[in-house]
Amino acid sequence: MKRIFNKFNMAVVAAAGLILGSCTADSLEPTLSQNKSVEGSVTKVDNLYSILKGAHNTLTGSGYYGRDMIATNEVRSDNCFSNGNSGRFTTQGEYQYNANTGFMWEEAYEVIANANIVINTDVTTLEGDQAYGEHLQGAALILRALAHYDLLRVFGQQHAGGNLGVPIVTEFKGEDLFPPRNTVDEVKAAIYSDLQTAFDMMDASYDSSKTIVSKYVAKALEARVAVYFGDWSRAVTASEAVIDSGLYSVIGAGSFVSSWATDGGSNVLFELAFSGADNQGSNALSYIYRYPADAPGGYGDLQVVSTVIDLFEDGDVRKDILGYQDGGTRLRNMGKYPDTATGSDNIPLFRYEEVILNYAEALLETGGDALTQINLIANNRGATPYGSVTKDDILNERRKELMFEGFRFDDLMRTGETVPYWGSTQNSLGTLTYPNDLFAYPIPIGEINANSNMVQNDGY
Amino acid sequence: MRTKFLYMLMPFLVLCMSFSFGQEKTISGNVTDATGLPLPGVSVVVVGTTNGTQTDFDGNYSISASVGQVLRFSYVGQKTVEMTVGASSSINVHMEDDAQALEEVVVTGYTSQKRSDITGSIVKVDSEKLGEIIAPSVDQALQGNVSGLTVSSTSGTPGSVANIRIRGISSITAGNDPLYVIDGVPVTNGNVGTSGAYSSLSALAGLDQNNIASITVLKDASATAQYGARGSNGVILITTKSGKAGKTVFSINSTYGFQNDAITGPVPLTAANRLELAAEAYFNDGFYTSKDEAMTDLLAGPFAEWDANGRPEARWDQAVANKDAIIQQHSFSASGGGEGHTFFASLGYMQQEATVIGSDFERISGSLNFSKDLTDKVTFSSSNQASHMLQNAFLETSAYFESPRTVKYFISPLLLPYNEDGSYNLFGGSLPNPLYLTENNSSKNRLTRIVTNNGVTYDFAKGFTFGSTFNVDFQLYNFRTYSNPTYGYGEATSGDASQYDRTNVFYVFQNYVDYNFDLNEDHSFKFKLLQEYQSNRRYFLGGDGQNFADEGLQNLDNLGTPTGVSSSFSDWYVGAYMGLLNYSAFNSKYVLDLSYRREGNSRFSKDNRWGNFWSVGAAWNLNKEEFLANSDIVNALKLRASYGVTGNALIDLNQYQSLFGYSADYGGEGAQYVDTFGNNDLTWETSHTLDVGVDFGLFKNVVSGSVAYFNRDSKDLLLDVPLSRTTGFSSQVQNIGELNNKGFELDLNFNVINTEDLSLSIGGNLSHVKNEITKLPVDPNGEERTITTVRTRIETGHPAYAWYMPTWAGVNPDTGVEEWYVNGVDGATTTNFNEAEAVFQGGNAVPTTTAGLNLNFKYKGFFLNATGYYAGGHKVYEGWHLYLNQPNAYPILAFNGYTSLLDRWQQPGDIARNGKFTTSATPWQRHSKYLYDADFMRLRAVTVGYDVPSKALESIGLTKLSIFLRGNNLLTWVKDDNLLFDPEVDIDSQNGTVDPGETGLETPPSRSISLGVNINF
Repeated sequence: MKRIFNKFNMAVVAAAGLILGSCTADSLEPTLSQNKSVEGSVTKVDNLYSILKGAHNTLTGSGYYGRDMIATNEVRSDNCFSNGNSGRFTTQGEYQYNANTGFMWEEAYEVIANANIVINTDVTTLEGDQAYGEHLQGAALILRALAHYDLLRVFGQQHAGGNLGVPIVTEFKGEDLFPPRNTVDEVKAAIYSDLQTAFDMMDASYDSSKTIVSKYVAKALEARVAVYFGDWSRAVTASEAVIDSGLYSVIGAGSFVSSWATDGGSNVLFELAFSGADNQGSNALSYIYRYPADAPGGYGDLQVVSTVIDLFEDGDVRKDILGYQDGGTRLRNMGKYPDTATGSDNIPLFRYEEVILNYAEALLETGGDALTQINLIANNRGATPYGSVTKDDILNERRKELMFEGFRFDDLMRTGETVPYWGSTQNSLGTLTYPNDLFAYPIPIGEINANSNMVQNDGY
Repeated sequence: MRTKFLYMLMPFLVLCMSFSFGQEKTISGNVTDATGLPLPGVSVVVVGTTNGTQTDFDGNYSISASVGQVLRFSYVGQKTVEMTVGASSSINVHMEDDAQALEEVVVTGYTSQKRSDITGSIVKVDSEKLGEIIAPSVDQALQGNVSGLTVSSTSGTPGSVANIRIRGISSITAGNDPLYVIDGVPVTNGNVGTSGAYSSLSALAGLDQNNIASITVLKDASATAQYGARGSNGVILITTKSGKAGKTVFSINSTYGFQNDAITGPVPLTAANRLELAAEAYFNDGFYTSKDEAMTDLLAGPFAEWDANGRPEARWDQAVANKDAIIQQHSFSASGGGEGHTFFASLGYMQQEATVIGSDFERISGSLNFSKDLTDKVTFSSSNQASHMLQNAFLETSAYFESPRTVKYFISPLLLPYNEDGSYNLFGGSLPNPLYLTENNSSKNRLTRIVTNNGVTYDFAKGFTFGSTFNVDFQLYNFRTYSNPTYGYGEATSGDASQYDRTNVFYVFQNYVDYNFDLNEDHSFKFKLLQEYQSNRRYFLGGDGQNFADEGLQNLDNLGTPTGVSSSFSDWYVGAYMGLLNYSAFNSKYVLDLSYRREGNSRFSKDNRWGNFWSVGAAWNLNKEEFLANSDIVNALKLRASYGVTGNALIDLNQYQSLFGYSADYGGEGAQYVDTFGNNDLTWETSHTLDVGVDFGLFKNVVSGSVAYFNRDSKDLLLDVPLSRTTGFSSQVQNIGELNNKGFELDLNFNVINTEDLSLSIGGNLSHVKNEITKLPVDPNGEERTITTVRTRIETGHPAYAWYMPTWAGVNPDTGVEEWYVNGVDGATTTNFNEAEAVFQGGNAVPTTTAGLNLNFKYKGFFLNATGYYAGGHKVYEGWHLYLNQPNAYPILAFNGYTSLLDRWQQPGDIARNGKFTTSATPWQRHSKYLYDADFMRLRAVTVGYDVPSKALESIGLTKLSIFLRGNNLLTWVKDDNLLFDPEVDIDSQNGTVDPGETGLETPPSRSISLGVNINF
């Protein structure tokens, strides 16, 4: 008996020893089940497409175009105020933000980081259709330009009496991980350059989806930026490039309201894809624009300034975008991004109507035929056509057409307007005269703390 | 009957037993000690059989044995005696003191050591002390019983995790949780919950504390050296119960009690308060010329129905309370052993309701610990713990509007819980009636945990022992939620449900060789060489969806619209080699401990995977020196010192690699993005700890205790170094930064009276720790990269996560507006928050001073035990004050608030805590008004009871009967009157789901009173 136990035991010892001896040497390598190493995993053109989609996905986050980018601009304009129902956007609406508030800085640079991986990949080393690879690189350049433009209009000092823009980043894990701010002009030049390169690289025959940036988005964005900075002749040329493509049309009056509930309209150049499965839930843009039911509930913090409805004449289909909640007491955006419960509507970032409006304004500024262009909008909205057109007419038409889409604040800025703002009961808190430190958002404290080359905007 | 039960419990035991039959006769006799007094409870065993008994109260025994068999008499503190049965049927035994054995043996990890041989800082808490706190998870019982250790429960919801910090914070962004070791094997014991929104569930709650013999807390480098690589945050050793040779002892341990919240907490405003404050706010904002006018309008508007119904008060705090919530636990165990084997087996049940509706915890558990000498050289042992837990969780880590604890503060008091007919009032709005939801929705955490630890030791040569251990910790977790389609948040989605499964499989293999040899009588050596491999795998699978055809269907199969599905796998591995040397000279007069551990961790890249950790410890037992040997005053005096290097690797997995993530999707297609910045140089964070101490016993241990000083420098911190966000990342884990913790600990025990009938002892501990960041990374301009949030800042010269915010200057008596100091300290004030400078407010959320006090009193059979706990020197921040505790629109128009708001400015000259009420919603502004001193004292446990005398029990066949009444958390004192919530808050971010150091809407600790009984037979 004893001998058997000894043998048994020796066998256990030997087995255990073997297990251990073999385990410790090689078995400390972790499994990568959900991830892949950045180095060496981009081998196909399809990988570039996958990264490009990832960058689009970052755009859809609630911290960027999924909500905050659009809502922050609207709540700081004369279209909306925050009723504070859930405490969201009160800080922005009342111009009380400080360096701790935080806004889209990280998200935009995340888009740029991923775009840079695509842009800086040597396509000739990849398997697959290399021309398509270059097209995708062009798309990544558009996203990089869009992100730089978004950063510039939020954080740049162009409306705060300064000339500092934001850092231009063109490499992932590049040489300088502590970049200083470039000037506004430098950033603008980089955006124009990226868009021109993109347009030249891209082949429209590869564009198959409105939810991925396409060749003419480069020109539409260029026109937008040119209008923002008053580069009128550039705006004319860029707008014409889009118009001449013949790919898009202004949506008719009868379909205007319903088009917001349908994806991929003929007027859409580029929209961000959202679906029920994305489950934005309470962080959806729609959920901040209205309550899920009539009575106060959910979020619904972004309320429309009560006088805004007076901008619209009867018969203008855009008036139907507006509506009331809480027993008819609160004016609301009811029509744009209409799916409140799940936020499943795609969010258009480039509509043909904006291109036309940019074109009209640029024509007006350069002595061209603005009237035809602006009536292209008015006629398709059930509004009275213009007999003659002024700058104010165009800005007013822009306001009505692009209301709740995040353009109004920038339009107020580039025209040097005084900005009124309100408290939670639409009680006036005063006005801000142009230029103003508050018109440039504070650089987030995390950036300031991590990078001493970064200069904070004045007043923070 | 009893014997039969024993065999039922352990069928396989029978296989190992050998029976011998001979000419049996009854032997009887008497056992006495060295002084001739009878010794009760001495184990008497017939060697080689299962036959055993114990001496009675007068030291008498009788047992059946055959001539030639050997009787073994054993008793703690006495030398074991063996007598061969001869012709006589009477054997009297005279036992002698065993000085060696009298000294307490403390489990120190892979080994055990005599008290006097210990060179480090170690605190042992025995089962009796642990039992004083009735809770699912045993870590709760450590509060107040271990110097230098702080416990803060994250929630009073039964089964929740607690934060334990030993000697402060050793790391800024790597983990600060201690390593848990069960019966010598490192295990993972954190939160197993998959959703950060719901109540957490601690894996530790899977262990029935009735099965735990003791917990040993290892604090310094020498003590934690055996686990060096993971010892920086301290080590908590859990030793499960085992049997003793002798008669089988059956034990029943039962308590049943009732609980309520330990603190009242903030009281919600009534509807009448709301009317008054709203009227005042409208008046203040200039909507009305008088307050009365405003009130008239309100009574005609939103308050009309309430007024017409006779102004009923909703009292949601009472509606959602589960008054006198039940807490009960029952355990039945059998332990014993015979020649060459011991066993301990138990069954346990625990149930605890939360003090709020809709949440409870239930656990059924069993254990079997068994050890068998296979030969005289080979011993097999196996300890097994299995349990199944069910926790009805709820949304509690944020202000979730479905949570009853949120509702009681957030819901308008104009909404009544019930209709007139007693049915639930199903009103609309964002806060649904939680009474309906708790009945019709569910969220359940289930965990089955099996820890099985099997080992063989083999004494293969003189002084040499080889051992091999294989441990499996298997955790099967399921979480499911369901929202009904009829009412509440499930209405919009026609009902929704989710279900998640997680399987955690942890293996540990250990092989070791022990070699003990005595050079001569005066010099003895103990060596240990150990090899260890740990594999940790986690499998996750889950899905969710919405749209059910009918109510009550909860499974994913019945979903109309699946909305999500996910699965993942993660793993990490540890390999280690360790060597220990313990040298003891002149009967432990001088002791030297050396340790070395080399450990590899899969969290680091191949080239940086392995780290070296070591310690040196020495002790000098002065009482063994001649000059103290005969001292009447000093009976024990030990000077000890240790220094060593321990490690920490508690960071997320695979941080060293630059990785693409694929968890994104866009437009219904998979997408990828760069997910991890990566850092190939990543390696161990190390702590260098000096520990010196004195352990003493005076006047034959009437006074005993220890004093220790420690200084721990943590270096190469695994820090989430802030990056310029222009990189696309906010941080990268790097080995950079330094942190220091130093402090002292004092443990004292005073046996005031110790006679046969009357005993009184008072014990206590006091500890203080100072935490300071000494080095942070700099950027290329040489500027320190601090980490600042709206509440805290990480900067050298300050404690980690020090509170940092503008300073509140009070309410201006003339204007009623709240103001802040422009420079953050004094002087000029401003009403513009953004003009007020943020400054350090002193301290962080971790207590700097903790103290525990114990009192044990016994008179004849009556006994009284009490334990108190104090923690202080830290501050906590009030969460949710914007909505609930500020004079703005939220508490009076949208939600509800606390009665503390009634102290507000109404007219010029008023000195008030709160400014004038407004109907506007104000933005979030965090400042010192809502930062409170969190010093508190708590009467943790009081037990009064009666031990029925043994003589009275003998007739009914019992050996012990104890009846007691036990109160937990009976009293709480909080220093700052403005701190309305319980000061025990979560100091961990729980992976970003909560704000550390902030009061939340989680369940507070409960105050309970239980009746209990202990029976042994």
